[in-house]
Amino acid sequence: MSQALLLPHRYKKIGWIILIPATILGIILIMGDFESEWLTTRVFAFFSDEILAGKKSFSLITTNVTNTLVGTLFLVGALLTAFAREKHEDEYIEKQRLSSLLWAVWVNYLLLLLSFIFIYGMAFLQVMIYNMFTVLIIFIARFNYILYQNRKGVADEK
Amino acid sequence: MKNNIRVERAIKNLTQEELANMVSVSRQTINAMEANKYVPSTVLALKIARVFNKPVEEIFLLEPGD
Repeated sequence: MSQALLLPHRYKKIGWIILIPATILGIILIMGDFESEWLTTRVFAFFSDEILAGKKSFSLITTNVTNTLVGTLFLVGALLTAFAREKHEDEYIEKQRLSSLLWAVWVNYLLLLLSFIFIYGMAFLQVMIYNMFTVLIIFIARFNYILYQNRKGVADEK
Repeated sequence: MKNNIRVERAIKNLTQEELANMVSVSRQTINAMEANKYVPSTVLALKIARVFNKPVEEIFLLEPGD
């Protein structure tokens, strides 16, 4: 019984290598709100409605892609880290994985619910930005914590 | 459900690691079963019974709450 939707184990390391710098860049972006000048370029957009340029669909637009790049890197890194097979992905690990995922979805939406009720205005926009990434973040944290606990439990038994 | 994997393992003089390799799971899985934190799949239960050369019911036992 092996999960077909998981990636090979080697992607986990690659995932971390992408995820860690992307997280640091992401935090810098949130704190500083900067955009690198040289990252302004022409890209293809399904749809765009920037304030000055007006609405455009299925056309080339000129825009700054700092956020796009960091967000993409973060998502790719997080997906690889989250959904690469463990070295020994057996039924017990699979169970831990699924229960961590369930846990992450619960926690994520409970936090979102709290934010919905108690956060208003522009700050809520900020919440929505975080919320794009929190399911993956919570899942990765929870799953790896459980794996760590297991390894620790095994270490002191014969 | 409880089990006597630990006892059977001692009789056969196997470490968790060795048993884990014989039924191709991780050592954590054996450890979790011995600690009654994990109920194995039927496939794994049958594999473990085969290692110890006993019927499944002699290794895995139902408890009143099951």
